[in-house]
Amino acid sequence: MPWVIAAYAVTGAVLLAYTLYLHAARSAALRDQQRHS
Amino acid sequence: MVSAVVMLSVVGALAWLLWVSRDVERRIGSARWVGALALVLIPIWLWLVAYYAPLEEIQGIFQKIFYVHIPAIIPTYFGFILTALGGIQYLRTRQERWDQLAVSGAEVGVVFCTLMLVVGPIWAKPVWGLWWVWDARLTTTLILWFIYVAYLFLRSFAFGSDTARTYTAVYGIVGVSAIPFVYYAVDLAHGAAMHPANPAKEGLPPEMGQTVGVGMVTFIWIFAWLVAKRCELGSLQARVLASRMGAA
Repeated sequence: MPWVIAAYAVTGAVLLAYTLYLHAARSAALRDQQRHS
Repeated sequence: MVSAVVMLSVVGALAWLLWVSRDVERRIGSARWVGALALVLIPIWLWLVAYYAPLEEIQGIFQKIFYVHIPAIIPTYFGFILTALGGIQYLRTRQERWDQLAVSGAEVGVVFCTLMLVVGPIWAKPVWGLWWVWDARLTTTLILWFIYVAYLFLRSFAFGSDTARTYTAVYGIVGVSAIPFVYYAVDLAHGAAMHPANPAKEGLPPEMGQTVGVGMVTFIWIFAWLVAKRCELGSLQARVLASRMGAA
């Protein structure tokens, strides 16, 4: 059972980490855009 | 029936991505509906994995890992095919949106390919007793991962340059030719591969097939949502770069 939980937990963690990266990069780009406009 | 729904999802997701990428800043709002669809599908898929799909006789509970490992294949291939498609269209039209779509497909495809490569060994260790074997499927999948990681490196080293866009477009078109080698790796190995054959070939009991199918549909829409969000980010970054260059 721990192996199964690990597989699903890793999947959730990777997808969540990538989503958070996109969100952080978007916020940074928006801040940059406001600074240059 | 299951494969028809999966196919329909692929076509639907592709059509939506092409529509969004046409004017990403205005049309990205529709991504909230795609995100909501994925959020509805995730608990349904997990419920099917936990309660609907029967326990496999030989592997027991470890076989449940297949329901996350196999569905990750579709977004991986989808992403890299999108990179090739975006590359062809970029070389033809020189429109930036195709380049954004190509990069987004590669990046999100690498995320799902990484998942496949990480989750596979989590299944292999308890079942084979080994984390990794250098068999045809595993090795070709790792090579595929390296091909697209190299694509992303190539892009990051030359951000915003037309030459980089052209080179990476060609690279993405050539790189996609690795997919058939990965897909048919087990057949090409003539029985020398440890990795199981493609489920489509082996056939699965209906409950298992339906669970894999729902997993695939879930991952396709998560993939589409991530690609659209990555396209939006690329478009924003390109605009910031243009305004910086204008100010300099």
